[in-house]
Amino acid sequence: MSSQASAGAITLPPDRDARSLGPAAAEQRERLSAEPPRSFARQAVSDTFRRAGARFGLAWVAVLIFCGVFAPFLANSHPLLLKMDGHWSSPLLRHLTPADVVLLVATFSIVAALLARPVPKRLRAIAALAVIGLSIPLAIVFVRPPETVVFEQYRQAEREGRVQSIVRAPVPYSPTDYLRDSPEVRRTAPSRQHWFGVEEFGADILSRMIHAARIALTIGFIATGIAVVIGVIIGGLMGYFVGVADIIGMRLIEIFEAVPTLFLLITFVAVFGRNLYVMMVIIGLTSWTGDARFIRAEFLRLRKQDFVQAAVAAGLPLRSVIFRHMLPNGITPVLVAASFGIASAILTESVLSFLGLGLVQEPSWGGMLNQARAAGGNFSWWIAVFPGGAIFLTVFAYNLIGEALRDALDPKLRGIK
Amino acid sequence: MLSYVIRRLLLIVPTLIGITALVFSIVAMSPGGVGANLVSAEFGMRPAEREAMRKYYNDRYGLDRPYVVQYLKWLNKVSPVGFRAAGAGAGGGGFGFKRPDLGESFVRGRSVAGLIGESLPITILLNVVSIPITYGIAVLAGIYAARNRGKILDVTSGTLFLGLWSFPVILAGVLMIGFLANRQYVKWFPAGGLTDVLADAMPFLPGRDASGAWQRGWLLDVAWHLVLPVICLSYGSFAFLSKLARGAVLENVQSDYVRTARAKGVGERDVLMRHVLANSLIPLITVGAHILPALITGSVVVEQIFSINGMGKLTIDAINTRDRELFLSTTLVAGLLGLLGYLLADILYAVADPRVSYE
Repeated sequence: MSSQASAGAITLPPDRDARSLGPAAAEQRERLSAEPPRSFARQAVSDTFRRAGARFGLAWVAVLIFCGVFAPFLANSHPLLLKMDGHWSSPLLRHLTPADVVLLVATFSIVAALLARPVPKRLRAIAALAVIGLSIPLAIVFVRPPETVVFEQYRQAEREGRVQSIVRAPVPYSPTDYLRDSPEVRRTAPSRQHWFGVEEFGADILSRMIHAARIALTIGFIATGIAVVIGVIIGGLMGYFVGVADIIGMRLIEIFEAVPTLFLLITFVAVFGRNLYVMMVIIGLTSWTGDARFIRAEFLRLRKQDFVQAAVAAGLPLRSVIFRHMLPNGITPVLVAASFGIASAILTESVLSFLGLGLVQEPSWGGMLNQARAAGGNFSWWIAVFPGGAIFLTVFAYNLIGEALRDALDPKLRGIK
Repeated sequence: MLSYVIRRLLLIVPTLIGITALVFSIVAMSPGGVGANLVSAEFGMRPAEREAMRKYYNDRYGLDRPYVVQYLKWLNKVSPVGFRAAGAGAGGGGFGFKRPDLGESFVRGRSVAGLIGESLPITILLNVVSIPITYGIAVLAGIYAARNRGKILDVTSGTLFLGLWSFPVILAGVLMIGFLANRQYVKWFPAGGLTDVLADAMPFLPGRDASGAWQRGWLLDVAWHLVLPVICLSYGSFAFLSKLARGAVLENVQSDYVRTARAKGVGERDVLMRHVLANSLIPLITVGAHILPALITGSVVVEQIFSINGMGKLTIDAINTRDRELFLSTTLVAGLLGLLGYLLADILYAVADPRVSYE
């Protein structure tokens, strides 16, 4: 083996090419020629989702997305259709909030854009974005749910025999319907009426869980999105400029890594009040350091490579060099980190809610879990197990996806299978 | 190596200043600002009284000064090198070495150093007990994986560990208290705290008292109280580390030097323990840098669940009451511990792997 290598070194003419391109570059060229670069991402994705773990993860996230989008239709005290005192109405549709409507419109336009294959891709994207963009002001102006909501009225009307026919949602309780007409049901174990039991204040747990899926999903995606954007920009600048920028950036990373993130989050939330958006921004602002490290390492590797040098020599603007030429070649470790990041953002939100720093009005899995042991020495296992199980499954799902993605993208494991 | 350690130690100072400045500016930006809690106690006061109280607090804590001045004054107070207070001691005034002073808590009216001195040992105790357990189990899991490669338990262990790692601490803690420390189910463990109410009256070691009745003693009592919190604090990291250890052991078992060792007749036990294990420890040490701060953060949650009065609880209280001296000092201590943890891990890394050099 070694004699062969030395013989090769002797016979090889000492030209510029052989010195500048090492064995690593040659190996890479070989790999690139065997496998066209375009298919790499596609193959990695198909590799990822061939694994059982990733499939399970994706299925669970799909269930969550379904729950989040159709939450008002899945769990609502207002009946979908109601014939009371002789005339028909749909209280459920009348009580939809602007956010519900925008979410539904967005989902349907995205699905329609994905399905309309014959139309050019760019046109579909623009159309979907336009519909979503238009729906937001329209929904805010025209969708006006009644301000006072009386959940008990339908149950009472039914008891009085005024209802001729009724079509309910599958879970006929709203997350904020505290069942004031039947206080004896508080803290009761799962039953036929309440599949996952009833919590401390009388709300149905399954209904609250379905509505809380929205928070878990949005916090994961948006917080991680913010973290990736910051990480890519800072890490990219560090890796590209090296020198002073690198030293300053590295201190910044160390500061942010040394601040106990949870302390900082608690500070922010305790001080600025409980707002979902504030929480997302803070989780994003405190979790970009890993992404920045990955991008920096990738950029340090890429910056002296020929294609980057060529892009610089061709006089392309910095933006183009960094984002169009270097970033696509260095983004893969960040994708893996982002998948794990979503999981940890969801976990962080649940911890904050558990500590009583979460949202007050909106149901959240972590906040629900906190109620399990709130009163006296009584422990109501259903208040802990179901929301806690939902947190666990969601975090597990994203971690499974992240791991499958990492295995599929890792050059060491590629080809070995 | 020495110069590297010195450089890293010197870098701790600006990093700590950055951390405390960050936390201070967050609280300063908040509605009401620093010390808002002090002023909020003025309900039902007459204007003159309110004025007098404001004046008193402003004189005492300098709350009417610009935030930059407040922060710099605090920084000067805690740093061992700085401007001495005008009337202090024989030296008085001037610039030079002095005694660092963490100040006095606004709300509790006690010295911050004393408060931290009570809470910090508890958090450190939790972590000192958890870390060896975590690493011990991780190493055992790694060896097990290497011995039973390809068997069902080894193949599924990857997913099992990932699941355990994903299991939220809050759920584990609530379930454990609910099922194992509850008269409704079984009351094997205490539900909270670190010692029994009567712990002060106990002898140190377990034994029988004068009447011949069994007494568990202080040491066993603390250990009994620590069981559930330590499980909560460590299972996540040991799942993570076990996964890592298994990967490292399997990678090393296939390497050339192991084949050489086997070929020259080294016993299987020695191959595993002396060759494979030593090399597999390297990644475990590297991630140790991230485990330590994570454990400190994790103990915030665990302390809250098990109502243990450690640093986590102290910090949350300090932030909630906007107690300037207290939250700045707890941030300082937590940050310092984290940075020292990173440094320790880097040094251990170089000790464990002779190929690593920081020159």
